[in-house]
Amino acid sequence: MSVLETIGCSIRFGGVQAAQDVSIAIGDWEIVGIIGPNGAGKTTTFNMITGFYTPNEGRVLFKGRDVTRLGVHERTAIGMGRTFQNVGMVKAATVLENLKTAQHLWAEYAAVAGMVGIPKTFVTEAALTERSDQILELLGLSDLAEERVADLPYGDLKRCELAVVLATDPDVLLLDEPTSGMGPEESEELGDQLLKLREEFGLSIAMIEHHVPMVVRVCDYVYCLSFGQMLAEGEPLEVRNHPEVVTAYMGEDPDEEAS
Amino acid sequence: MATVDERTEAAQAAGAPFRPSTGGWAGRGVVYAVVAFFVLGFPMLREPFEAALFSRAAIYAIIALSLNVLIGYTGQISLGHQAFVGLGAFTSAYMVTVQEQPFGIAIAVAMLVGALQAGVLGLISLRVRGLYFALVTLSYGLLAESSLFKINALTGGGAGQPAAKPAGFTSDHRFYYLCLLFLAAVLWVDWRMMKTKGGRALLALRENPRVAATFGVDVRLYTLFAFAVAGVFAGLGGALFAHNDGHIASVTFNFQLALLFIIMTVVGGLRSRTGCVVGGGFFALLGWLLERVHLEGPLEHFPFRPLSVEVFELVIGPILLLATLTLFPGGIGQQLRPITKWLGGHRFDVHDRGEKDVQITDVRA
Repeated sequence: MSVLETIGCSIRFGGVQAAQDVSIAIGDWEIVGIIGPNGAGKTTTFNMITGFYTPNEGRVLFKGRDVTRLGVHERTAIGMGRTFQNVGMVKAATVLENLKTAQHLWAEYAAVAGMVGIPKTFVTEAALTERSDQILELLGLSDLAEERVADLPYGDLKRCELAVVLATDPDVLLLDEPTSGMGPEESEELGDQLLKLREEFGLSIAMIEHHVPMVVRVCDYVYCLSFGQMLAEGEPLEVRNHPEVVTAYMGEDPDEEAS
Repeated sequence: MATVDERTEAAQAAGAPFRPSTGGWAGRGVVYAVVAFFVLGFPMLREPFEAALFSRAAIYAIIALSLNVLIGYTGQISLGHQAFVGLGAFTSAYMVTVQEQPFGIAIAVAMLVGALQAGVLGLISLRVRGLYFALVTLSYGLLAESSLFKINALTGGGAGQPAAKPAGFTSDHRFYYLCLLFLAAVLWVDWRMMKTKGGRALLALRENPRVAATFGVDVRLYTLFAFAVAGVFAGLGGALFAHNDGHIASVTFNFQLALLFIIMTVVGGLRSRTGCVVGGGFFALLGWLLERVHLEGPLEHFPFRPLSVEVFELVIGPILLLATLTLFPGGIGQQLRPITKWLGGHRFDVHDRGEKDVQITDVRA
């Protein structure tokens, strides 16, 4: 059974059909890749799944529940976690502070209780810090805990972002280009890490990714979007060699590509 | 608390544990003592009218902290803070004088009213942002001046509303300490807020509401929360303002006052509690300080003697604002950072200005 599913989701911005009848399903413990050229509607699909956009047509099901009209933070509360193409962290804060911010729903006290300084909040805060440290250690990022996000190089940012999204305690992870800004070796490392995290946290993962070798190695299933429409889906190798996918990536006429 | 421990650990790991020597602590002790003397003892030695000015300084500090919640923590500007403060002042005066309620209840109602009116603006801020939201707050302030502050029952019309000081704090000197107590409470709340989930949510919201939402922060709720907190602080500041003056009239709360509030907060330093307190205090005492310098100090024979103190007061604010906006976006708080760090037991580092804490763009909404 799939834990996360979009059924015929379409969205239009003015005259542009950004996504047309997109149906994807992510099974339990599955790693699903979403590929496609720029502007294919991949991030748009993520935005419909996580609640930034409400589709004009279609539904989003999460754990068997229709979440199409749920707010973003409500979806986080029931176990959706996502990263952003251009890094979803608070840049003015340190990495550790970001992990604590991401545990907003885990801080089980009212914001006002924290302001007044109720003793319990001190205990909870210490627990949040400890949990943040554990996550950072698990990902081998402990050294960066006190670094300000704005000062970090892009590759580190993407790794820290992964730690931050794990702090929200998701069941499904939606990663928007997790390897962008990384070299081939780093990407490979990240792939291993994702496989490990799936085991440890019991995660299902959907990722938008351009790095095809990584997709082929890590993903169980792949969807390819182009111009807002589903072009192909199936096993990674199958999709990679699909003639329409090749055309979509390479362009039909090499001369046109050159100009 | 855990974070401080961790930082110490991190510092030790880096091989640079810094512990001030006994002499170092003694030096810090002297500075603490001097500050404590000027805050706690000095006003006692001055005339009652001067004690009232020091109370005003504490009240302005509270108001600066209120604006800091909006401008500093959430990135929304309020150009109508004279209305926030004024309504708090009139509410408290009305409760004490007309309803004959005790001071504690009057203050509580003033804070509640502050939260409610700020909450209304918060609702608007969910729809309108940036410059246009600033315009909304500006017109709200002017609207309040010409409507709310014209309700005779509440404000006593042009004659104003008396606002007696509470029993036990009837002298200006004693009331000053009451104001200090409230300022301390506000500082505590602000500090704890920024160390817990509420403050973290606000900072995330200010930078990127989308990211905040994926962290599980209810964007609408926390926007309203920020406004409510600012409203409570402003209501409290207004109530103390009224009782400090003993009598309050609507002409006091004009747009010029709102501008002064903004200037003192920005010049004091966004996201810096020290900065806000120093900024608020400085602008509350500016006139008095100028007079002291002018009448008794080295400028006795300054050729511009004919210019009154008010002229300088009006000019100094904008000049400092310009200097802050162009040169030191972190305001006084940023400039004081090496000293406050040092007082906290760190090494003295002139270059540690936390430049990245406040960027130019923060103050150029």
